[in-house]
Amino acid sequence: MKKKVLLMGASGSGKTSMRSLIFSNNPASMTARLGATIDVEQNHVRFLGDLILNLWDCGGQDAFMDGYLTTQRSTIFQHVGVMIYVFDVETTEMNKDLEYYRDCLDGLRSHSKDAGVFLLVHKMDLVKNPADVFAKKRKDLVTATGDTPATVFGTSIYDESLYKAWSSIVHTLIPNAAVLTKHLRTFAQICSAAEVVLFERTTFLVIATSHQEGDTSNDMMPTRYERTSELIKAFKHSCTRVREEFHTLELELPDFTAVLDEMTRNTYVLVVAHNPHVETAAIKINVRMARKRFEELQGDTL
Amino acid sequence: MRKLTREYTSTHGFYSEYNWGQRFGSTVIPLEIWDCPGNITVETLGTPLSHFRTIIFVIDIRDLYNQAIAKLVDFVIAAYHVNPNIHFEVFVHKVERLQEDDKVENFRQINERVLDRLIEYSPEYEQLPLVFQMTSVFDHSLHQAFSRVLLKLIGSLPYLEDLLNVFCANSQSPKAYLFDIRSRLYVATDASPVDTMTHDLCCDYLQMLNSFGSLYRSASGSGVRHIAPSASESSEGPEVSDRQAARRRRKELFFPSAAALLHSTHPGTALTYHLITEHLALLALMPTPVFESKRGLIEYNVVFFREGVQEIYEVEQQVRSGG
Repeated sequence: MKKKVLLMGASGSGKTSMRSLIFSNNPASMTARLGATIDVEQNHVRFLGDLILNLWDCGGQDAFMDGYLTTQRSTIFQHVGVMIYVFDVETTEMNKDLEYYRDCLDGLRSHSKDAGVFLLVHKMDLVKNPADVFAKKRKDLVTATGDTPATVFGTSIYDESLYKAWSSIVHTLIPNAAVLTKHLRTFAQICSAAEVVLFERTTFLVIATSHQEGDTSNDMMPTRYERTSELIKAFKHSCTRVREEFHTLELELPDFTAVLDEMTRNTYVLVVAHNPHVETAAIKINVRMARKRFEELQGDTL
Repeated sequence: MRKLTREYTSTHGFYSEYNWGQRFGSTVIPLEIWDCPGNITVETLGTPLSHFRTIIFVIDIRDLYNQAIAKLVDFVIAAYHVNPNIHFEVFVHKVERLQEDDKVENFRQINERVLDRLIEYSPEYEQLPLVFQMTSVFDHSLHQAFSRVLLKLIGSLPYLEDLLNVFCANSQSPKAYLFDIRSRLYVATDASPVDTMTHDLCCDYLQMLNSFGSLYRSASGSGVRHIAPSASESSEGPEVSDRQAARRRRKELFFPSAAALLHSTHPGTALTYHLITEHLALLALMPTPVFESKRGLIEYNVVFFREGVQEIYEVEQQVRSGG
């Protein structure tokens, strides 16, 4: 199943760096070496095995933008699943940015009216009062977007916020997310676990969790998912630097017990238990026995 | 024990002296670190150099000018005059700013110029055990350099190393470290050579575990396990019976552990973590099949290792508190 994802925004707003960090396993420090994108860079990223994200990283320089909006308009804006528009929080040309954005939105509405719209206010690490600045930008962007529903995120490649945004975006592209959630909840009960999280193997973006909206019985840190993505990705990178490959992790800490193991060919599962009597070996056996079921689930619906 | 650090850069440092004694006070090595401003001299220091066990001089690798080197030489001469047994370490810092060839060349030059001046002063200074290390904050070289400095200051080092050697021999571990978890400096390692790659991997692993620990904590605190009490609780009162009581108490307590399995080569490597005291953790590598099939024996070995380290620690505490 192919889903086209448009990645657009002004030149230098950080689109290619984002892509490099999330999809290519490069650490944030390596993005300094990336140059300007020339025209459109198309990448087919295999996600969850059978889902192919057709990522169109559109060079942001004016010449290219003008091309997309005129001669290449239908090619660019047809068959789009999701449009991600990136705004550099420090931009000095907000009006020009908004103008291009409205044009792109127009193109999207004409050719892919059901596409999801996600707006990323990027490079938030450079800002002194992030909460205030973000609130204001969000307001401006929502106004500019008009009737179309759009989700706005504040992001930075230097913390977990980027993982949160991309996990949310990719979540909308996974057809059977609700089914997966239901099965993760059943699995959590079987393991006497406080929470079970499913990650995509390469990007470590969160696919689904057993967490129930409004369930406060466990009251864990709200940023835990994206923090986990960020930490594990960084550790995986450290391992490859010494020519090792990360495989699994088990933890018996004062506040919880956890096992991070492969679930299917394309996913990793994190099982977290607060009950101190739950043994990691028992969790691992359960994961092994649940594999077949989760492979089937993935195969069925993608 | 005191350690003096002195930074000399072309733009003079603006930090004032401060005491780090409190922070390191409760690990195996109580350290008092004096971080000095860049324009300090032997005279303006305010305390005789004889008070210090180690001096770390930080010099920017690009700084080949005579001023920095002259200051360094002044300090070396003054230090060895008052205490021939002082450890003098030179951190040739900010190496990330240079290319590989320039790094090596500059390092060599700084080394040479310092030695030349020392020999000029007195031929016997050629034999001074001056240690030069290349460091940078952008990788783990600074951690390794500091760890090496620390190793020379730990009185109980031979005992800790012995414990590690015995542990490694009996657990088929090619390498193990005893790390201070907060600073990620290692206070002891086994006799096998220190390989930068495994050291860096252990540092990263420790950093990941430190951050992970708070993520899935339940704010309501359900299922929290009892962890090791602070040492101050067990070092009061009559010595022998109290130590036995402390040991009995410890047996009921919970010590966190973790294992990461890595598999690039066929048998695979397990990177294990076991908390030993509230500040120290044992990080050991071992072949995955050994870890998986002999898990019980490994844990058994860790228990004895832990008791050994804690006993050493307790004795040190008593000596320090004048017991």
